[in-house]
Order: sequence, then structure tokens, then C-alpha cells
Amino acid sequence: MDDLERLYQTHYPAVVRFLYRKIWDPDRAEDLAQEVFIRAMAHRPEKPRAWIFAVAANLARDEARAAIRRRKHLTLLKDDPIPLSTPAPSAEDVMERDERWARVNEALAELSERDRDVLLLWDAGLSYPEIAAQTGLAVGAVGTTLARARKRLIEAHDRVDYQARTARS
Amino acid sequence: MTVWTIRQERHVPEEEFHAYFDQALSRSQGAEIETHLSHCASCQGRRAEVAALRDRTSALLAQLTPSPVITPPPLAVLLERRSREFRFAMWRHRIQQAGRWAAGIAAAAGLGWLARTAFDPHDALPSAPIAAVGAPAPSQASQVLALAPMDSMANLDNAFPAPVPEPDAGPGAGGRRSSGPSASMPSLQLASATMDLGPVAREAAPAASEEVPEARTMPGDPFSRIWRVVQWEDALRVAGGGLPFIEGLVVVGVLMRPGASGERPTVIVTQQDPLGELVQSIEGPVDEVDGVLRIHEPDVNVSERVRTPPDYVEQLGGGLRRTLRMLAITGRLPADSLNALARMATIR
Repeated sequence: MDDLERLYQTHYPAVVRFLYRKIWDPDRAEDLAQEVFIRAMAHRPEKPRAWIFAVAANLARDEARAAIRRRKHLTLLKDDPIPLSTPAPSAEDVMERDERWARVNEALAELSERDRDVLLLWDAGLSYPEIAAQTGLAVGAVGTTLARARKRLIEAHDRVDYQARTARS
Repeated sequence: MTVWTIRQERHVPEEEFHAYFDQALSRSQGAEIETHLSHCASCQGRRAEVAALRDRTSALLAQLTPSPVITPPPLAVLLERRSREFRFAMWRHRIQQAGRWAAGIAAAAGLGWLARTAFDPHDALPSAPIAAVGAPAPSQASQVLALAPMDSMANLDNAFPAPVPEPDAGPGAGGRRSSGPSASMPSLQLASATMDLGPVAREAAPAASEEVPEARTMPGDPFSRIWRVVQWEDALRVAGGGLPFIEGLVVVGVLMRPGASGERPTVIVTQQDPLGELVQSIEGPVDEVDGVLRIHEPDVNVSERVRTPPDYVEQLGGGLRRTLRMLAITGRLPADSLNALARMATIR
């Protein structure tokens, strides 16, 4: 097993999640993730981890543009529940999980594009230099951006959560 | 010692805590922060806040996953998909390449058609089906005279239909015209009706019953230099492949007059465009063509003269004599169109 195959085994879930958080389509995220690794096998990049996430970001961008062109609404918020693996949860659990998912999603959507990209790349496991290379930031600015993004995400989530609780009560 | 004190008092910025937890700092930077944290309660509290923030962020983002467990498909599936996509890409490339070739050919054909239309002197005319090219049509010989330099239209009735030799006639009757009423009409009348050929042409001659003259006339033959209507194939044979021809126009008739001193004959080839407009290509020695052009009708235009291959005739005393030849196109088309026709005319 070469490095690329090992990277495929270890990073495939991270790439799927990274793509999913950009296009909100689980099947399409898996499809694009496979496309990313197929391309990696063809190109054999020197820095495969940074390369696959860069390609994944580009594919997600193209996918979003295509979705806009097709006037297809992205699967946002509660209108499109996430499929889960077995065992099948109860309806109450599903509803509660969907609400949580929607609140996180809404909080993430409140971030600027750059903050969101940095946060998602960090969560995918990229290092600061890799994030800097992909986003165009200076390496020193990644920590600052990441600190701001984390704080804003939590603040936004808390605000959305509070509004939801207030509305329920 | 002073430097050490300053370092001890520098609190750790928040973004440095994030980098510290993300292991994005150098070893020395990490050691410096840990040293400061060992005695700074304020920074210890802020470190806990950043750690909690970081953990909460990770927990929130963990909810945004398509499924709790994501398992990569077997590598063989990926390789098969890659192979399939490669084959698909190859076919797509081939189809695109074939499409580009087809488009190129279509574009070239279209450009050719446009260029032909643009440079065709008949482009101003409405399109009409073009009849077969090069097919002689002696039955329309009367139309030949319509544009020929002539004295009057009244003479046309006497001039045509002119007797025409059968192309497949045998040597015995070879080239001899049929003996109908019109066949007995001497071609002298045709000649006199179409152009003033001078005293030689006015000599009485049983031309209608004569064979098509040879390109090189026999000295002393009084009938050798009269104008005759001949078929295209006969004209080709007699002229030795020196007939003027405009590609794309129907040949209506051919008038031929043998050369004076062994030169190739002077030829008037009448052709018709799709709208019925006639043009005549006059090719021969310069003096001969000039003589014909001098007597054309006022409303018949003449193209510019175009030089054609000269004649080289052996002289009795030895050596070669060169006779210059030229081509001119006459017709009722505008002079520019005739000039264009003269440029595109070929000698067959």
C-alpha cells in the first residue's frame, strides 16, 4: 500500500465531511470525494493531503455553481433531514437531531466565507501552512482567523439556540 | 535577567492559544507559553476558555456529517471507476475530435461556397439550376448569333439551323453534314450574317457539305478560311485542344475559322448562364480577334484582352514564326463581369 492509498483510507471520511459541509448533499459528497482520490491517483501530487483538499474545495465550488445554474436549492436546514445509519432512531430523536443540525448549519452560514473555509479546513485536519496555502492567508494569520471563526461560530450557535428555545417556550 | 522578567509578564494572546492547541507553534514558542502558564493564573483561565471554545467548535462541526461512520469504498471500486472514466473521457475526446473535423469540413465547404458566390460574376443574378457544363447545344445555334457581331437579326433565319457534322460519322461520310433543307444552307450565309469576314469569306463556297476544316489550312484552298459552326467535340479535335471555355456555363455553340498561315484556328465559343444570358469567348491571333471585335454591336460589351499561348509556325526558309494570340469575352453583361469571366476562362 503506497502513501496515496494510505491517505485514501485515512482521509476519505474527512474529505467527505469537508465536501458535505460545502454542498450539503451526502451522496454527492461521497461521489466527489471519490473523484478527488481518482484524480490524486492520476496526478500523484507531491503534497497529497493539501492537494486533495484543494481539489475538493474546487469541486465543491464547481458543484455549488452548477447547483445555482440548475436553480436547484441546496439542501438547507430542516427541509432535508440527514440519513443516518442503523439502528433507526426514534422519530423524536430524529427531530431533535435535525433541529441541532439546523442550528449548527445556520450558525456556520453566518460566518464569512473565509472564516468558514479556514474552520472547515482545520476541522478536516489540515495544518496551518496547508490552510494558508489553500486560502491565500499568511501562516501567521491562520491562527487569528481560526480564533475569530471559532468564537463567531459559538456565538452564532448560542444565539440561534436561544431564539429556538424562546420560540418553543 | 531583565529580558526574562519581560517575558514572564507577557500574557499569551488568544490566537497564540489557538495555535498552541493546534500544535502550530514551534517548539520554543510552545515552551515559552508553558513557562508563562506555569505562574500566570490569568492566562491559565484564558487557556481553559480557548480549549473549551475549540472543543465546542469541534463538537458542533461533528454534527454536520452525512453519517456517523463514513467508510471508504474498496480501492478496486475506485480503480474501476477511474478506468471507466478514462474510457469515457477517451470516447468523449474522440467524439469531440470527430465533431471538430466535421465542423471544419463543413466550415471549409461553407467558406468555399461563399467565396465562390462572392467572386462569381453571376452572383448578382438570381440562382437557377445550372445545366450540364460543356455539353454542346448546336440546336440553340440561333442564340449564338444573338450576341455575335452581326449586321441584322433578319439574317438569322437564313443562318440557322446550321449543318453540323455528326461526331460519330465514319470516314466515308465522316464529318459530312446531313442533306436536309437546312443542310444545304451554305455556311457562308452564317458567316456573313454574323460578321464581316471580308472578300475571302464572301466567296461562294459549298461549305455546308464540307468536312470540318483542319486546323492547318492548305495553301490555295479558297474555302479554307470561312467561319463554320461546329460541335464542341469537333472543335476540340480541330483546334487541338485550344478552345476557350468558362467553367460553369453551358456551351451553346462553337464558331471556328481556320488559321491563315498554319496558325491554330480562331474560335468563338458561345456559352449561356443560368438566366439565359449569352457570352462569347473569342480566341485567336490578335489581328483576327481584333477584326471580329471591331464589328460587334453597340450594346455588346467587350472584356479586356487576355493573352493566350502563342502559335509557333515553321517557316519555309527554316525557323519558327511566333504569332501572338489573345482572348476576349463579349456579351451584354457588364464589362466588369466580362473581365472576371476573361480571367477565369481556360483554354481547353
